[in-house]
Amino acid sequence: MLNLESVTVASGSFRLRDIDLAVADGECHAVLGPSGSGKTTLLNAVLGVLSPESGHIRLDGADITELPVERRGFGYVPQNLGLFPHLTVRDNLAYSVHARGLPRAQFQPLVDKLVEVTGIGALLDRWPATLSGGERQRVGLVRALASQPRLVLLDEPFTALNESLRRELWWLMRELQQQRGLTVLIVTHDLTEAYFLADRISVLLEGRVIQQGEKAQVYGRPAAPEVARFMGVETLQPGRIITVQDGLATVEVGGAQLLAIAPPGVTEHVLVSIRGEDVILQRGVGETSSARNRLPARVVSVQPGMPLLGVELDAGFPLLALVTRPACEELNLRPGDLVTAIIKAPAVHLIVQSS
Amino acid sequence: MLVTSLRQTTIAAALSVLALYGGLILSLGWFFDGWVLRDALLSERTLFSVRLSLLAATLAACLAMLLAIPAAYALSRYRFRGRELVDTVLELPIIVSPAALGAMLLIFFNNPMGEWMQNHVLRFVFAFAGIVLAQFVTILGIATRLLTTCFDEVPVELETVARTLGATPRHAFLTITLPLARRGLIAAFILSWAKALGEFGATIMVAGTMAMRTETLPIAIYMRLASADIKGTVALILVLVAIGLTALYISRRLLGRVAHA
Repeated sequence: MLNLESVTVASGSFRLRDIDLAVADGECHAVLGPSGSGKTTLLNAVLGVLSPESGHIRLDGADITELPVERRGFGYVPQNLGLFPHLTVRDNLAYSVHARGLPRAQFQPLVDKLVEVTGIGALLDRWPATLSGGERQRVGLVRALASQPRLVLLDEPFTALNESLRRELWWLMRELQQQRGLTVLIVTHDLTEAYFLADRISVLLEGRVIQQGEKAQVYGRPAAPEVARFMGVETLQPGRIITVQDGLATVEVGGAQLLAIAPPGVTEHVLVSIRGEDVILQRGVGETSSARNRLPARVVSVQPGMPLLGVELDAGFPLLALVTRPACEELNLRPGDLVTAIIKAPAVHLIVQSS
Repeated sequence: MLVTSLRQTTIAAALSVLALYGGLILSLGWFFDGWVLRDALLSERTLFSVRLSLLAATLAACLAMLLAIPAAYALSRYRFRGRELVDTVLELPIIVSPAALGAMLLIFFNNPMGEWMQNHVLRFVFAFAGIVLAQFVTILGIATRLLTTCFDEVPVELETVARTLGATPRHAFLTITLPLARRGLIAAFILSWAKALGEFGATIMVAGTMAMRTETLPIAIYMRLASADIKGTVALILVLVAIGLTALYISRRLLGRVAHA
């Protein structure tokens, strides 16, 4: 269990403030944030490269804030993987055995196993410079895991790869993590990557952790407008709560009214957040269903996209629906068409505006 | 059109660098005398100068590296009080004339502290140690500067990774940084050595011009010219050029091999 307790750490003129973070044993935790949000600074503090100005870092309760890097027992795969170019793959993998002065036999079975699982057996006598991106990736991972780290730290290690290779390595990483019960802290700017690999996500914006929680929770129910914007929520509109009844709030957004799960506490001004894939489109007025929000809307434009197309609507407020290509073709959507936009009440997420 | 002319202009500039130095060497031919060269090569005094120059330059370059390697590493990796000052003072030997640098050394040895060192530690003025010291002082700054750049090029990340794999900072420096910087280390050593070999101004200030005692090759060249022995001067210049170019050639071959490893 890794805990950061109100850690403040500076790197150059940049400062990470009051970071609280908890990574449970066997969990993969992603710190998600745009470039410049302080992800690498955070990682360097956990690694021990940067010393916090205040706050504590604990591992299983023990204070490791001032412990030197080499005594933390963390595995680290940096963004460019950090393979030692003057050592062969085999010597790269054996580096920790030499550095710690341990008997090779103690680690060899684990190394052999990891080499087999990741399929890098044929690369052992090669130089890092001769490896492909995916191969380097695997070597970097195996080297970090071979020393049986208590925590694995990954700094955007998959970003330089092409799409299909990246997915392949995501699977490998997820498998390794779950089978070996690894505790992983990954920092990334890629929402898809974070969602794929992580159990829990912390959103880091401008040096602060804005939201931390189960990934579905963070994805579907952003706690702050900036989180919603960073996570690419398609519709984000100011609204006003008119009434609250039985835990359901009626919200006025532009010229329309929506039913949503009421936020805790008494509040009037909210930000309405709706994911594009939660908006269902229907030709004409349609019949009644369990979905509480049925909004007459006019198609403004159809935006090309893969694999989903964006349908820009005017439903009394700007609303974006994401639909598949076949669905769009079947509905034959053209700008100016009248449709019904259907949104279930739980899919309308209300962000309380801090006054 | 613009691209072609840029290419032509710049290549012409590069070739004119060769023409300048090559022309200077070739022009020695006007006063070249094979017998004088032969005599110079066989004379006890010239051989002494060659040996003295090689020994002093090698010692000075080794000593400079010994101090410059850790100093450059600190400048490259750490932020510390006085770092800016160290960084500024590195160019001092380049800005200040070698003669001034030598004069400063001489003045130091006339201070009480310098005199004490002369009497109790090692005699520098008009002595072999003075030659090494003068060359050492001249090249230390540039050696440190070259090595700082060379350590800058080794990513800190690699040291961090090594430390997560259990290496202490010292172990990471010895097993990762130093081997990766070896090209730069060799280049810095060769350049410092070559600069020490040709050093004149500071050496003559501290060590003087005593034949068979402190007469390095550059000083020998100066002495021959001062006594209007042009042919002798040419012969000694050719010896110096031959030693320097051979060293540079060997080092390029060495560096090339390292690059392919």
